[in-house]
Amino acid sequence: MNFIDHLAIGFATALSIQNLLFCLFGVLVGTLVGVLPGISPLNTTAMLLPFTFGLSPTSAMIMLAGIFYGAQYGGSTTAILVNVPGETSAVVTCLDGYQMARQGKAGPALAIAAIASFFAGCVATVVIAILSEPLAALAMKFTAPEYFSLLVMGLIAAVVLAHGSPFKAIAMMLMGVLTGLVGIDVNSGVPRLTFGIPDIADGMDFVPVVVGLFGIGEVAANLEIPQDRSILAGKIKNLMPSWTDFKAAFPAILRGTTVGTILGILPGGGAALPPFAAYALEKKVSRHPERFGTGVIEGVASPESANNAGAQTSFIPLLTMGIPTNPLMALMIGALMIQGIQPGPAMIHEQPALYWGLVASMWIGNLMLVVINLPLVGMWVSLLRIPYRLLFPAIILFCCIGAYASSNSVFSVWLMLGWGILGYFFNKVGVQPAPMVLGFVLGPMLEENFRRAMLLSGGHPLVFVQRPISATLLAVAAILIVVMIFPAVRRKREEALKE
Amino acid sequence: MKMTSRGDRPDMAFGSFLILLAILALFGTRTLAVGTAANMGPGYVPRALAWIILGFGVIITAHGLWTRFRPLPPILPRPLICVLVSLAIFALILPKGGLVLATLGTMACSTFAATDYKWRESVIFAVIITIFTVLLFVNALGLPLSVWPQW
Repeated sequence: MNFIDHLAIGFATALSIQNLLFCLFGVLVGTLVGVLPGISPLNTTAMLLPFTFGLSPTSAMIMLAGIFYGAQYGGSTTAILVNVPGETSAVVTCLDGYQMARQGKAGPALAIAAIASFFAGCVATVVIAILSEPLAALAMKFTAPEYFSLLVMGLIAAVVLAHGSPFKAIAMMLMGVLTGLVGIDVNSGVPRLTFGIPDIADGMDFVPVVVGLFGIGEVAANLEIPQDRSILAGKIKNLMPSWTDFKAAFPAILRGTTVGTILGILPGGGAALPPFAAYALEKKVSRHPERFGTGVIEGVASPESANNAGAQTSFIPLLTMGIPTNPLMALMIGALMIQGIQPGPAMIHEQPALYWGLVASMWIGNLMLVVINLPLVGMWVSLLRIPYRLLFPAIILFCCIGAYASSNSVFSVWLMLGWGILGYFFNKVGVQPAPMVLGFVLGPMLEENFRRAMLLSGGHPLVFVQRPISATLLAVAAILIVVMIFPAVRRKREEALKE
Repeated sequence: MKMTSRGDRPDMAFGSFLILLAILALFGTRTLAVGTAANMGPGYVPRALAWIILGFGVIITAHGLWTRFRPLPPILPRPLICVLVSLAIFALILPKGGLVLATLGTMACSTFAATDYKWRESVIFAVIITIFTVLLFVNALGLPLSVWPQW
């Protein structure tokens, strides 16, 4: 209908000089952190979040989104050339990409990775544009019980898709919800679990919690593992893949994009899971599954398109319903709320320039990445020569400044220290912090909607299953739990995640 | 069966942590009004969560005690302590000492977390990062920070 109009608004917004510059800055920073192992887009976004206060909401979102999908491009560069995944989402790319590089086909591998990512980015942008209106319209019908059920389903799905024991992941998620409730209760004005500390009366600040858990805890744990990197030196020549490479890669790109697009929308999705699933699928449909791992081009094309598609479509639940499906999207919510914008189904109509500008910027950003990255490969690789012993003090410093800047008080640095200890502990006992962060962000929303629904129904919990949408969502959550409990399915899932 | 062959240490540690956290939460919310299901007080949801987490903690700990022995991964104190102390240094120095001293202090302390540091390159790198930090965060981004110590 007015699909074209929307995209016109979007491109008009995204093509302003200011937004183009922020988009460029975002994708460059994203590529940089993608290239460097040990810095993830998550802690980069957390560090940069306080500095978006001064920007317009549109520029801030365009830049932060650029970091996320830019990191997918950067991660694959190191995976192919150094056999070190810059990001978890590039782990699979190492398998065939590095083998291709060893056979002297680093150029075509990089080019196919970039083309696959670009294609997936284009498709994902269109999917976001098409799905936004109907999903936002559906979400407008939601009342408290539906929201509660949606949040429950989202949290459960995030647990299912996480690594490791689902039982422990649920415990982590509940712990996150509980810690999210710290602060003054909005309904009664009573401080809860603050233990008399005035700095957390408004709840614990998001940035120190996330940076502590993911940044500090991981640096401390990373330092215990010796870091070695052997860079495949030598000139990268003939970037262009051959026609046979193209013909082999194209169907793989299509399949990878489809897998990534679907898995990205699901709660708990994002960029990390789709490449694993896409690689597994590619092996299934291939006539020569035994050749995977020896440097086949499908093994690069498919996961690369999947991670980029997933990175982008994971914005859909956030933009249309205001629900983050992974910790990075949770940070995006934080960025929007700081700007005074309540993410949710109304955003698409109240902030059309922001909404469509962000969507259009994703396409522009992808184009920038293809154009900029291939010529700059040499520069990114030379950055890898900076040893970790020099890198991590800078990471720690930027974490400190980021935490301080989030509240302009050193209390946040102490808070980050505490969460850093927790992050280290979780790392040692082998539990993933991601479900906890999701619980932490969604906790207040979850309680609010639960209390409101129960108030409206006069205390009858049946309200959640009497309303059709809510009942469907809870049924999906229940099916997910059943699926997890069945050992056969569980083993399959572990296989898929391990591969 | 020997006792030493049992006990999944990571699970036991995680379960015990959950139990401690739940007890802390139950203690912290003991004065909050719980209310009824139709009209919940501020304590209803947190206390309910705390009890559920307590349940999870007990199950995970018990399961850990019962399954095969698995040791905790080794903990190297040096990187952990250096990283944590460098955060503390930043928080302690920044308010009075300014950004330059806090940056140098944090960089110096965290450098010792690695065992393969080299004096010369670390000093040069720290100076570069300090200049970069001041230019980026104070001059370009305008963070309200004092650069030099205030007496």
